[in-house]
Amino acid sequence: MITITHEDFDPGVYIDAARDRQTGGIVTFTGIVRDDGITAIELEAYREAALRELEAIGDEARSRYAIQSVDIIHRIGTLSVGDHIVLIVVGASHRGDAFRACEYIIDRIKETVPIWKKEHTEEGSRWVPGEHS
Amino acid sequence: MKIMVRAFARFREVVGDVTALDLPVGSGLPAVLAALASRSDESRDLLFDEQGMIREHIIFMVNRKRVSRSAMDSIILAEGDEVAIYPPVAGG
Repeated sequence: MITITHEDFDPGVYIDAARDRQTGGIVTFTGIVRDDGITAIELEAYREAALRELEAIGDEARSRYAIQSVDIIHRIGTLSVGDHIVLIVVGASHRGDAFRACEYIIDRIKETVPIWKKEHTEEGSRWVPGEHS
Repeated sequence: MKIMVRAFARFREVVGDVTALDLPVGSGLPAVLAALASRSDESRDLLFDEQGMIREHIIFMVNRKRVSRSAMDSIILAEGDEVAIYPPVAGG
């Protein structure tokens, strides 16, 4: 499943669902709101374009690595410290491809998917600067 | 012709989330930015530098597909196109 949602997710559900008779390993990445002295973080997406981009990244990962399944769930809305932001679950026959595909997916998300974060602190708010233009 | 402009994150806060523009047939992305910039000093400063050049970090999409800087000048918009402008992304 590839989706953008306000709802929280249970990584275990997606890990279990990625199992298949040919699966030898499942690699996951869970992004979490870190305590950088913030009171909350707000995630905004250009939803239609972001979903299309996530699907394209999933396809790229499948074409580059020998993997069997890809799940990407990205949350939007107002989140607190410790909340899940993103989940990537990659199932493959062998660990090497699963690890590499998972890293490829999160790196590509940070490069191209139109999603932004605004941090709220006691002093005010600021947009988290993007790393890629 | 009618063009729908969507802006996100910091850009949304300055120019608004959705703006309907009525532009001459044959207009491109520079005309979209000029129309937005004419609405307020804050918009102009967000979109153009002191020399009047389009700011480097602005990212464009037309109908939800990214437009590279090099392709920007060759884009001719059509009635009903959706143009999106936004700053570098920070998801994940």
